[in-house]
Amino acid sequence: MAIEQELQAAVKAALPELDCIIGWGPGPDALRDAPLFLRDAADADVLRAGFFSVNNPALFLPEYKGRKIGVLVKGCDARSVGQLLLEGLVRREDLFVIGFPCSGVIDAGKAAALIADRCEAGELRSVREQGDSIVLEGPDGAFSLAKKDVRADKCERCLFPNAMDADLFVGEKRAPFAELDEYADLAAFEQAPLEERMAFWEKEMSRCIRCYACRDACPLCVCRDQCVAVARDPHWLSQADGIRDKLFFQIIHASHLAGRCTGCGECERACPMGIPVLLLKRALSRRVETLFAYRAGIDMQGRPPLLTFSLEEPRIKERDW
Amino acid sequence: MRIGVFICHCGSNIAGTVDCAGVAAQAARFPDVAYSTDIMYACAEPGQDAIIEAIREHGLTGVVVASCTPRMHEPTFRRAVERAGLNRYMFEMANIREHVSWIGKDMDANTNKAAELVRMAVAKLRLNRELTPKSFPVTKRVLVIGGGVAGIQAALDAADAGLEVVLVEKEPSIGGKMAKLDKTFPTVDCSSCILGPRMVDVAQHPKITLYAAAEVESVSGYVGNFSVRIRKKATCVDWDKCTGCGLCTEKCPSRKSYDRFNEGVGPTTAIIIPFPQAIPKKASIEREFCRQFTRGKCGVCAKVCPTGAIDYDMQDSFVEVEVGGIVAATGYDLMDWTVYEEYGGGRYPDVITSLQYERLLSASGPTGGHVRRPSDGAEPRDVVFIQCVGSRDPSVGRPYCSGFCCMYTAKQAILTKDHIPDSQSYVFYMDIRSPGKGYDEFTRRVQEEYQAQYIRGRVSRIYPSRGKLVVCGADTLMGTQVEVAADLVVLAVGGEAAHGAPQLAEKLRISYDQYGFFMEGHPKLKPVETNTAGVFLAGSCQGLKDIPSSVAQGSAAAAKVIGLLSRDMLESDPQIAQVTVSRCIGCGKCIEVCPFKAIQEIDLRGQPRAEVIETVCQGCGVCNATCPQGAIQLSHFTDNQILAEVEALCRF
Repeated sequence: MAIEQELQAAVKAALPELDCIIGWGPGPDALRDAPLFLRDAADADVLRAGFFSVNNPALFLPEYKGRKIGVLVKGCDARSVGQLLLEGLVRREDLFVIGFPCSGVIDAGKAAALIADRCEAGELRSVREQGDSIVLEGPDGAFSLAKKDVRADKCERCLFPNAMDADLFVGEKRAPFAELDEYADLAAFEQAPLEERMAFWEKEMSRCIRCYACRDACPLCVCRDQCVAVARDPHWLSQADGIRDKLFFQIIHASHLAGRCTGCGECERACPMGIPVLLLKRALSRRVETLFAYRAGIDMQGRPPLLTFSLEEPRIKERDW
Repeated sequence: MRIGVFICHCGSNIAGTVDCAGVAAQAARFPDVAYSTDIMYACAEPGQDAIIEAIREHGLTGVVVASCTPRMHEPTFRRAVERAGLNRYMFEMANIREHVSWIGKDMDANTNKAAELVRMAVAKLRLNRELTPKSFPVTKRVLVIGGGVAGIQAALDAADAGLEVVLVEKEPSIGGKMAKLDKTFPTVDCSSCILGPRMVDVAQHPKITLYAAAEVESVSGYVGNFSVRIRKKATCVDWDKCTGCGLCTEKCPSRKSYDRFNEGVGPTTAIIIPFPQAIPKKASIEREFCRQFTRGKCGVCAKVCPTGAIDYDMQDSFVEVEVGGIVAATGYDLMDWTVYEEYGGGRYPDVITSLQYERLLSASGPTGGHVRRPSDGAEPRDVVFIQCVGSRDPSVGRPYCSGFCCMYTAKQAILTKDHIPDSQSYVFYMDIRSPGKGYDEFTRRVQEEYQAQYIRGRVSRIYPSRGKLVVCGADTLMGTQVEVAADLVVLAVGGEAAHGAPQLAEKLRISYDQYGFFMEGHPKLKPVETNTAGVFLAGSCQGLKDIPSSVAQGSAAAAKVIGLLSRDMLESDPQIAQVTVSRCIGCGKCIEVCPFKAIQEIDLRGQPRAEVIETVCQGCGVCNATCPQGAIQLSHFTDNQILAEVEALCRF
């Protein structure tokens, strides 16, 4: 594909100046790419970028702080990079950001369900993009699926498909699918009464295996080894196997991301139990948007509202003067 | 740990609705509790002695007292446990009075709640660590904000005690409201004659630095070491050169400026010296009226000034001062009485405020002390005084009594008779409030010797008729309607918090009530303190009061500051933030959120880490709540302690 080849050429040109370029390469099966760490321009041919490049490469940047790193980003990845920059967790001068127009990414779960009667994802020989559909090479021959049927939900409401603030942008920018994130998913969820919603979370959380994949996949969870979830001092969470501590962790995670979460959805994608944990973060994002008129990772001049202190908040009227 | 629990009866305050012995019995079974008892008055000397005795006898290493709010007696009990040899932070308090006994009558529910609060306090105490305060030096200088009579008194008393004083006044002269008054009750002595010498003392005192036409821009720091930024407003006159000769005010061609000092009774010039006894006696330009600014040309004052002091390009400038204590004495302003449509809403020129009337009575006022009504300059014969305009009136959001209006109205009625012997005064009043020394006699004198007619009732309407103002009201003692044809109506307009008081309170980090008056530390026992250490109150900024009370508070606030700054070193509160370096990831979020700039980034083996500057940290806990991995902990309020309290309350 043209853009992929252009990106490969760009990476080859840029690599001599950089310690490493993070992008995507062949993954565990044909439906999924995996993160790729390129150090040698000769390997650039395996680089992939497109509908199957789901992982958010911003995740790896804080570890590389202080080294010159190139990074390929989709629109959502670029917001994560932006938020990391705003918080001073990575430095702009260390980064070489390569953007490209994203037409959304696959939800491998949706695709696996659709092809279930033909084969398993692992049996697919190859998959490629063809306009608005993907062509899959199965054991019994080729067939195609419409992209919109297998696209991740987050892409349908994505307002920023083109990476912002990129040093190099390859390809034509495209218009977003949505004009405005109206939080329709939240509104639908909030139709149910409070007890029902609590029951929903209790049921979902009962499946949690406390693997912390949601945390480890989050590009903004930068505490890593010092996470309160596993600390004994302060001892926020007990090791008891109960819904209480599992839900407590999700609420801690969501509050630590309030005003920081860019909605990349990696937490939910990484969850092996399919728990819809992004919904909690979106509830707080909506609140931050209405209270502080702030959306994470977009405005490089703005300050994350919960990471500053001001006596007066312009949109919170505590007094009548 | 061996914990002792003491449940206070507070007489019947707590014991009336809480089974104190029952709570003590329950507490005996809480973890680590070695001794538990109930006690009649824990704060009284026998109570404190019993606590000390129990510590010694039972080898206690920590104490919980369940009684009133920690604001009241936490320091008392901390001292008591310290006397018994424990660290003062091995003590916790459960508030079972304000939080339990005073708010409910259900004995069972109250007893239950009290026991749960004690359980929380015990759970927290088990994780307490001994803390030791650090000492830091104090700056022996005090800032007084407001140069009214209260601020003047505070400044003089503090300066006489040897402290350096910085006095900030927003107007071009000190003197405040008292400088505007003609005479003062109940002695009817001349206001400026008794205030003037004090003002001169301020100007001449070697320890006092006066910044007039200046305002406090920002305050940082903490008790003992405040850093204050003062904005010196551009007066367009270089006060180092100005001699106060007044030539500019004579020649100024703009003669229609609003006269703030004279309450707008007559116009004044655009360059002014507010009044003859002004301190400092320096001219200043009111830009909104000055032709040089409104029309872009004039320059008359610059031409006539013999010392070349006029500087039209002057900008606001700033000075930084370091002080150890602050006295707020910002006084009051009159409420906007024009909300009263029944009094004409400001449309009738001969309905004036009592402060305007003071200026008409004053020999240094615009009429030279001759009472002339504003509309036609005629001398009034029948003068009606209406009291409680904007006082004791919930309908305009002013339910409080202004306190001084009854007395000054009586004084003004006396002065009216003195100025115009054949005049007749009428006073519409609700109640006569005259509880001061010699006050009630004074209000009797005005009625008996000066024949002022006091009518108990409210005025329903004022309307003009044939050159007079007809005042319609009720006489509730007679049970009749009354109508008085008046030449002049004087409204005893109530006071309200000085404009801008809440904004100043935020800068000083002190509380204020719903009307903007600053909150004292305790309504009876800490009348001039605030809940912010090192900040004190004097005069009407705390609540409306007359001159004697304001002066008394000025002296009281000065005494508090003198006491505070008599020490060379102060102890810092050890309940501050601490960084666990091994858990810090150097993300710097704490540095961003700290309102006191008390956290700095340090380099630890090439990695950034946060560090708390101990004497600057105020223990507010914002960093603590922000740090995602809990690497910053607030001593005495660690995450684990809060979690232990929650666990104690929400047992599964």
